[in-house]
Amino acid sequence: MTQSESSARKPAAKKPVARKTTAAKAAGTKTVSTKTAAATPAKKKSGLAFPFTAIVGQEEMKLSLILNIIDPRVGGVLVMGHRGTGKSTTVRALAEVLPMIERVKDDIYNRTTEQYLEGEADRKGAAKIDPATLKLEQIPVPVVDLPLGATEDRVCGTIDIEQALTSGVKAFEPGLLAQANRGFLYIDEVNLLDDHLVDVLLDVAASGKNVVEREGISIRHPARFVLVGSGNPEEGELRPQLLDRFGLHARIITINDVAKRVDIVKRRRDFDEDPEAFMKKYNNEQVKLQKKIQKAKTLLPSVTMTDEVLTDIAKLCMNLGIDGHRGELTITRTAHAHAAFLGQKEVTMKHVKDVAGLCLRHRLRKDPLETLDAGEKIERELAKLLGEAEAV
Amino acid sequence: MIAFTDIVGMDLAKKALMLLAIDPALGGVVIPSAVGSGKSTLARAFAGILSEGTPFVELPLNVTEDRLIGGVDLEATLASGVRVVQHGVLSKADGGVLYVDSLSLLDSSAISHIMDAMSRGEVLVEREGLSEVHPADFMLVGTYDPTDGEVRMGLLDRIGIIVPFTAQNDYRARKEVVNIVTGRRDPEDVLDELRMMTGFLDAAREMLPKVAITPEQVQALIQTAITLGVEGNRVDIFTVRAALASAALNQRTDVDDEDMKLAIKLVLIPRATRMPEREESEDDMPPPEEEAPPPDEESQEEDDSQQPDSPDSDAEEEQEETPDMIEELMMEAIETELPDNILNISLASKKKSTSGSRGEALNNKRGRFVRAQPGEMRSGKVALIPTLISAAPWQESRKRDQKMAGRQKTALLISKDDVKIKRFRDKSGTLFIFMVDASGSMALNRMRQAKGAVASLLQNAYVHRDQVALISFRGKQAQVLLPPSQSVDRAKRELDVLPTGGGTPLASALYLGWETAKQARTKGVTQVMFVLITDGRGNIGLQSGFDPNAEKPSKEELEKEIEALSLSIQADGVAAIVIDTQMNYLSRGEAPKLAQKLGGRYLYLPNAKAEQIVDAALNF
Repeated sequence: MTQSESSARKPAAKKPVARKTTAAKAAGTKTVSTKTAAATPAKKKSGLAFPFTAIVGQEEMKLSLILNIIDPRVGGVLVMGHRGTGKSTTVRALAEVLPMIERVKDDIYNRTTEQYLEGEADRKGAAKIDPATLKLEQIPVPVVDLPLGATEDRVCGTIDIEQALTSGVKAFEPGLLAQANRGFLYIDEVNLLDDHLVDVLLDVAASGKNVVEREGISIRHPARFVLVGSGNPEEGELRPQLLDRFGLHARIITINDVAKRVDIVKRRRDFDEDPEAFMKKYNNEQVKLQKKIQKAKTLLPSVTMTDEVLTDIAKLCMNLGIDGHRGELTITRTAHAHAAFLGQKEVTMKHVKDVAGLCLRHRLRKDPLETLDAGEKIERELAKLLGEAEAV
Repeated sequence: MIAFTDIVGMDLAKKALMLLAIDPALGGVVIPSAVGSGKSTLARAFAGILSEGTPFVELPLNVTEDRLIGGVDLEATLASGVRVVQHGVLSKADGGVLYVDSLSLLDSSAISHIMDAMSRGEVLVEREGLSEVHPADFMLVGTYDPTDGEVRMGLLDRIGIIVPFTAQNDYRARKEVVNIVTGRRDPEDVLDELRMMTGFLDAAREMLPKVAITPEQVQALIQTAITLGVEGNRVDIFTVRAALASAALNQRTDVDDEDMKLAIKLVLIPRATRMPEREESEDDMPPPEEEAPPPDEESQEEDDSQQPDSPDSDAEEEQEETPDMIEELMMEAIETELPDNILNISLASKKKSTSGSRGEALNNKRGRFVRAQPGEMRSGKVALIPTLISAAPWQESRKRDQKMAGRQKTALLISKDDVKIKRFRDKSGTLFIFMVDASGSMALNRMRQAKGAVASLLQNAYVHRDQVALISFRGKQAQVLLPPSQSVDRAKRELDVLPTGGGTPLASALYLGWETAKQARTKGVTQVMFVLITDGRGNIGLQSGFDPNAEKPSKEELEKEIEALSLSIQADGVAAIVIDTQMNYLSRGEAPKLAQKLGGRYLYLPNAKAEQIVDAALNF
């Protein structure tokens, strides 16, 4: 991403975005443009988000999010931990350091040219589209917030109520899943999400598609997104199937270092006092991080891993008694992304070590009488494995 | 209506509300207090000292999700043909106060929505085809009676001030005072006083940006938070803000010791998970609780705040603060707050509530209607309005189809897909209350078994929507170690360190279990099961828990107590299992007798494994 692009985004974020208000609705403003605008995350934001680079500590969570930007196939991250430790602040700060993606202009599903052509060709009686006529545009990777109180029809999309009421036309109004395509879908307090919404999410996450069939409306659109959830484990457990969907599991605890905490308070107060000045102060770092991420994304396809490392990963998962192969797969992808982030072209066991806890923590079998923390167990097995490797 | 200035007593709560009025960024004030202490009167009177036009919205406990968040206004939508949006209660409180009485009884999904709105300052409405953002930047004022249960920690974390609980309030006397005062006073005087108060708060608000706090002071507050084991980092900001607001209230530009103390008292101490050791001897029992100690110290503070200009006290304390002083300060703040003994509060106030039948009315409710969701007409109760909302947009096109098909015209066309059924919160699920005898030599063993059983039950809790609570009893009285919870993590943490040994206050355990069961009932739990892991030999009476000097009851008296409690528990429909883990030759048959009294089952499981206990509980 270039400097000009990032600064071009700033003003948009700075202005408290005009909200769709009741008055505007009642006046009958329902142009197409407002609807497509809803597909960009900026629409959701009023005011400024605390900058990502100004967040003190909590490296595990920050790294997890960054690795997911570099390679969305890492599979999302679940952030669980103490109250008041900046979980949602960090996720919401993410939007500002995300790269841009290219989509077909005004496409409500954020599709690429290929996806667009494929999707439109599937539609009954659609005329063949010449790719050359398609206009493209750059948008920031969308971050879509899924609030706990969301209803199923808003998540999946439903009939456009106004068009239906006024003209009886059955037009599809896309939901949050459409907006989140190729972006991030964030659920705060994910462990409290209602069962029927969890079902919907599991369905879509497995297939990468959202299907809505209802009385003459038949919509099928791609819905691939990085799932980010956060919550406090004391409020309740996550459904096992959903837990399994998350590639990474970051843990977050209260910072007990006085100096760091003083710093947190100071930054927060500075931000509250004058958000614009605060943003300015961190602008350089934000841009730097953005560039670093973009560079890693470019580097990623050329990152390699030896068979030895792969064998060690497989051994680690086996020794920990992890079912299935999602463990190995996640570690491999995450380690690649991590190496790319560090600007390195080959994955080593050091990269694996850094991300093993994140990738495996939630995949260990739970033993109620186990006193050892999952993280410690992984570390112990890793140490064994590394010791072995050194001894040979 | 009683004016804020007319309320006698509750000085700390009043001060807390004043701080909130000065700095709304404190998020809110929670006031736990016994019934009839005037807490809700005070909270409502708070509206009177806010600047004019500030919204003050009271949240009804039975609020549904769509009323809370907002949604489509069906009537207006159908009338106008354009989607009309109705703002929710959260958004109506924007820029003002959201007041919840009996905060601890609020449904957990409602609490989640409040938490979400508080962390964003707005409500995301993603419902029924609507996608909107409504501003919802409000202060939350909540009052509750701790005997009704506790408020969820996640919510408390977003609220700056928690007024320390005052158990003993001679509320009759207080009411009297209010009556006398208001009756005799000229309404003009009352108005003048209120006007003075608001003017006073305006001045403080103006002062606030000018108040400075030194880095050392910030550090001291944070150190205190760490020492007290307060979770999370959000609280630091609240503590600093409270100290600043307190200085502004006293028209000072510097934060002084009193401000620090007040901030510690109102923000940190109520969240403490550990208390620093006191220097004095540890008297493990507090003096018998009688009337509330006259709040001399507090009324002095009140005086201070009425006369903001006291420059001399400022000038003489110019010296730098050393860490020692800070520690002292902290201890002082804690000491002044602790004499009522925090640990005894819950029991002390519970004593009162047994006689009444509060909460009973709520018991026969089968959960609370929370939201409507798509479903089969026969699989639940149909939610009429949401069904109509979802059918409305289709009417035009369906009528056209109907006409084309030549079918007879009907007024309303509702299809299967429109049907929404009502969803009730926590209708099912069992609460397992483990009561573990932590006295005597076998205590460690029993405790381990219980822990294993609790953890293993919780592993599956998600599927069954079950909850688990754990009560341990030893010494003088029983103690809730784990309030009803679904969290494995929390259970593990709470059960990590457990003292054992001492007497066997069986009666106290039964009593506490019964109370816990009753609280759970008001929150929609229908089935409760006691799992008692004990040899059944109680030797400490209920009275000892309240009064250390109580005479030791005779064996017969003890038995009678247990019998009476068991009968009430049985009458409330609580199931029970008594698991005896004592070696056979030591047993004198008390445990089977206990099971009989409770109308429950007796199991003899020496060296029981956690799984066996779980099986017993699940296959009851």
